[in-house]
Amino acid sequence: MKRCLIVDDSRVVRKVAGRIVRDLAFEIVEAGDGAEALKHCRETMPDAILLDWNMPVMNGLDFLRALRREDNGGEPTVVFCSTENDSEHISEAIRSGADEFVMKPFDADIIESKFAEVGLI
Amino acid sequence: MQDTTFNVLADLALSGSGQAIQKSKTYLIEARLAGLARREGFGTMDDLVHCLKARSNAVFAAEVAAALVSKDTRFFRERDILIQLITSALPERLKASNTGRLKVWCAGGGTGQEAYSLAMMLQEPDAAPLKGAKIEILSTDICKATTDAARIGQFGHFDIQKGLSIHRLLEHFTHMDTGMWDASDALRASISFRQHNLMKDCSGLGKHDIILCRNVLSGMARTARMMVVERLAGQLVPGGMIQLGEGESLIGLTDRLEPAPTIRGAWVAAGTANSAAAAAA
Repeated sequence: MKRCLIVDDSRVVRKVAGRIVRDLAFEIVEAGDGAEALKHCRETMPDAILLDWNMPVMNGLDFLRALRREDNGGEPTVVFCSTENDSEHISEAIRSGADEFVMKPFDADIIESKFAEVGLI
Repeated sequence: MQDTTFNVLADLALSGSGQAIQKSKTYLIEARLAGLARREGFGTMDDLVHCLKARSNAVFAAEVAAALVSKDTRFFRERDILIQLITSALPERLKASNTGRLKVWCAGGGTGQEAYSLAMMLQEPDAAPLKGAKIEILSTDICKATTDAARIGQFGHFDIQKGLSIHRLLEHFTHMDTGMWDASDALRASISFRQHNLMKDCSGLGKHDIILCRNVLSGMARTARMMVVERLAGQLVPGGMIQLGEGESLIGLTDRLEPAPTIRGAWVAAGTANSAAAAAA
């Protein structure tokens, strides 16, 4: 079973996203900020990461840049998931190594569509 | 909803837009007419039908029939079929053409996602075999409001995220202050939009190399399907094809068309499939 790391400082968002992604046949791991997510990745690199932008301790963009510098850090498919949804922010996320971008708010259909887009399902 | 109300609306759907709506799917009527009922100030479907019966108004009746058609669509829906269109069907048609002009009709094109998807693909490397071809895309829908929305080419937060990759979004759409995403002028300019009811005469829309009619016939009654297929077949250039959606078939609906030998889900004039295959071989 593929594993997806869900990184968001909102417990509610993690639960909602977790339920949707679990229905797509992923095992779910959660992290509340970028630093915690990086720790997870250093232990076991996930197949997919659903990543929020604004978080305490380490934000999504800093996490993503750090991840892509790690050994095997290029492997996970990263889907950014943020309310920062103007073209500049999206482009910045893609330049920093994100594979796809979900604009919040999202529903199950959008997550499924974006995961299909990057070949996760 | 009263039984008489359901019967009036189901009859109107059948006669006006060919839709077959089963009694068990009353909720479809409620969902599809909700916006129109709100706009016109009807509290219930019974009120709306009461008005329809009290005053004969062909324009309003046609609008109700159009609203009863499914608007369900998304970008790059059944994308394998679109890829096949760009990489096989259209290049095949281009070889047979001596003008380099090809016409594609998205019949029942809804809010335009199918036509916009096609227009995007035509700008991408997969479309290299079509370089130099002049490809006209026509998208039609029975509903005026839907056709107008398609022509404007602005998509909301949820619609823009369904089927469209973030790379294509950034390349072809601009985020507006309203929160909508606006299609590029280049995309918009490559598509014509017309309101058209597939049950009506379509000779004015011209002849086409490919008619995409995907997930449109499936909601229709058998007699309506037969009539629509007959009309569409009459709008094909010699050698042209009708492309259906996944799992759809014209078996038992027409003798005029048969499955294309090399293009999955496409139908060509009966008697030509074998000769086309021989020519290709």
